[in-house]
Amino acid sequence: MKLTRGAFLMRRNLQPLAFRAVSSVLLALTLCLAGGREAAAQQSAPPADAQLDVQALFTSTCGWCHSDGGRAAGKGPQLMNSARTDDFMRNRIKTGKEGAMPAFGETFNDAQIDSIVKYIRSLKPDQG
Amino acid sequence: MKRVPRNLARSVALAIGATLAASQAFAQPVDTARIQAGDANDWLTYHGTYRSYHYSPLDQINTNNVSNLSVAWIHIPGRSTRGLQSMPLVADGVLYYTGSYSRTFALNGATGEVIWSYIPELDEALISRQTHSPYNRGVAIGDGKVYVGTMDGRLIALDMKTGKPAWDTKLIDSEKLTVGFTGAPLYAKGTVVIGSQGGEWPGRGPIFGVDAATGAKKWQFDTVAPNEEAQKTWGNDSWRTGGGGGWMPGTYDAETNTIWWGTANPAPLYDWSGTDYKTQGARPGDNLYTSSVIGLDLDTGKLKFYHQELPHDAWDFDSAVGEFVMLDRDGQKLVVHPNKSGYIFVYDRSAGLKNVWRITQNSNFVKDIDPKTGELIGRRDFSAGKVAEPLCPHISGGVSFNAGSYNPKTGLYYKLGQEWCMTLTVAKTTPITAPQAQLNIGADFKIAPPPSGEIYGHLDARDPVTGAKKWEVRFPEPPLASVLSTGGNLVFVPDSRGTIHAYNAETGAELWNHADGTGHQGGIVSYAVNGKQYIAVTAGFGGMASDDYAPTFGGVYKSMPRDDGALIVYSLK
Repeated sequence: MKLTRGAFLMRRNLQPLAFRAVSSVLLALTLCLAGGREAAAQQSAPPADAQLDVQALFTSTCGWCHSDGGRAAGKGPQLMNSARTDDFMRNRIKTGKEGAMPAFGETFNDAQIDSIVKYIRSLKPDQG
Repeated sequence: MKRVPRNLARSVALAIGATLAASQAFAQPVDTARIQAGDANDWLTYHGTYRSYHYSPLDQINTNNVSNLSVAWIHIPGRSTRGLQSMPLVADGVLYYTGSYSRTFALNGATGEVIWSYIPELDEALISRQTHSPYNRGVAIGDGKVYVGTMDGRLIALDMKTGKPAWDTKLIDSEKLTVGFTGAPLYAKGTVVIGSQGGEWPGRGPIFGVDAATGAKKWQFDTVAPNEEAQKTWGNDSWRTGGGGGWMPGTYDAETNTIWWGTANPAPLYDWSGTDYKTQGARPGDNLYTSSVIGLDLDTGKLKFYHQELPHDAWDFDSAVGEFVMLDRDGQKLVVHPNKSGYIFVYDRSAGLKNVWRITQNSNFVKDIDPKTGELIGRRDFSAGKVAEPLCPHISGGVSFNAGSYNPKTGLYYKLGQEWCMTLTVAKTTPITAPQAQLNIGADFKIAPPPSGEIYGHLDARDPVTGAKKWEVRFPEPPLASVLSTGGNLVFVPDSRGTIHAYNAETGAELWNHADGTGHQGGIVSYAVNGKQYIAVTAGFGGMASDDYAPTFGGVYKSMPRDDGALIVYSLK
């Protein structure tokens, strides 16, 4: 399932010539991460209306541990059909678990974390 | 007042002089010549000596008495998040090693008594955001200091005698890039070399040379497109998506004043280019100098030579792992180096290719690698979508990041191979050119058994140049730790279940084993203090490869902690 690609996934001209066509960066995250912990905290999370391409997020990052895009257990647990509550998931995404899962509380705002949980709840077995 | 007879006074003076001389010899600083010579009592650099054998000539513990081996002492480093992965070093009877979060210890090698400890203050909030963290693979020593990298991008020098910081140099903007240092540094001739993480992130994967005396940065070599020639191998300016890095230590060739280092994969790990990877996909071209071995001038960091082992690596089988075994054969000076793919490359001392052989049984990312030219024959370059035939080996590699051992007495190279595969669905990605949530993988995947049957691992005893196999020992789950061979005709393998095994180096017969209480995935060394030989091994499981063991194998791994570890030291009863 692919959620709406909104303002969060923005196209940005990094190189006017060759790179223009392929430059899509997570600008809000860049702002969040660029200035270090203190700066990141000051700049707070991305805009509340920003939406996240969660499927792409799983393909780039989450999937190394949550196998098959969250459909199977790997280093991390299977997320599809998880018995955990939404609140548990939100908290785990925000604060992480030492040695097991990174904390994304400085990276994603509440609305974006909600969209991640929504994506997880929508996971179905891969028919491919 | 009695006069001391002149002869007696002279004798006493001579004795004092001799004692002082011995004391000074004992206190002789660890320098390049000592690391090169490699006294049997010591273990002075990550790979043992610059020759990179992971071999100890000590033979007090041998095939006849290894059954009498027992635990001499144990040290618990604490806070072993994701286990214990480092390679201990030993100089003049003192053992130096690290745990997670770069916790650094100097211990009496005979008793385990703590001489000093150093617990660095790190950016914990940053580390909590990192995926490949907070483990540490070890230190370097030289010029009276111990050098350790940190996950928040610093290289720290500690006084060898006191553990007090001598300097603390910030080398990477880890807060921006979310990468740091997990690999051990390398010391040579007043320079400390350390490589950053990089393969999964949008950086340039730098390797640094730092002045050992002052901590000042002397040079930086970016493994991703550092020059015009290399930039041409990243179509559409895709060098901006980055990768590379050199996250494990290389070695030093004193004859040519050259640092040998392995580099990591480009990002994204998996590309949707299809077969025309030179012009299509996420990063069209060969992507220099990723998945390569490189030779850098120690003093300037200038590139002297390279061989790209995997042009346009589309499988995350980077060359950053492993030893650089320097041996002489038939009048030729050779270097043997494995990469994650399970292929072993044999070079001359300028990275001219001499041979390529493979340690894994299950491998299909290429049909073969030409042993003369290094060309990847029948390579699999995926298009976006589900990949029909599982990819072998698995992303954790045909060999692990840990080291094999070359034993000059037997002439055999003892190396672990890993037999596992993965299903995957490759995604058509948009370029990630600035740090985002964390990684840049480019596929969904899942571990899978090989076509030939179950997942397994094996210790091979092979000719390091031809790959000819003399014997093999199999393990139900791939061992991930380093291997040690000794002058006592022994090979030690710390396995993943938590048992350390000793084998006859000539035959592969198992002679001894002992349970260390948790899985191994770090270093093992041998050294001597006051004429007594010791074997030191790190135990403690957890990390990018071992975190897959509980869901994949169940059994003992289900209850195996991933936040615990110990240094266990053996000697004869």
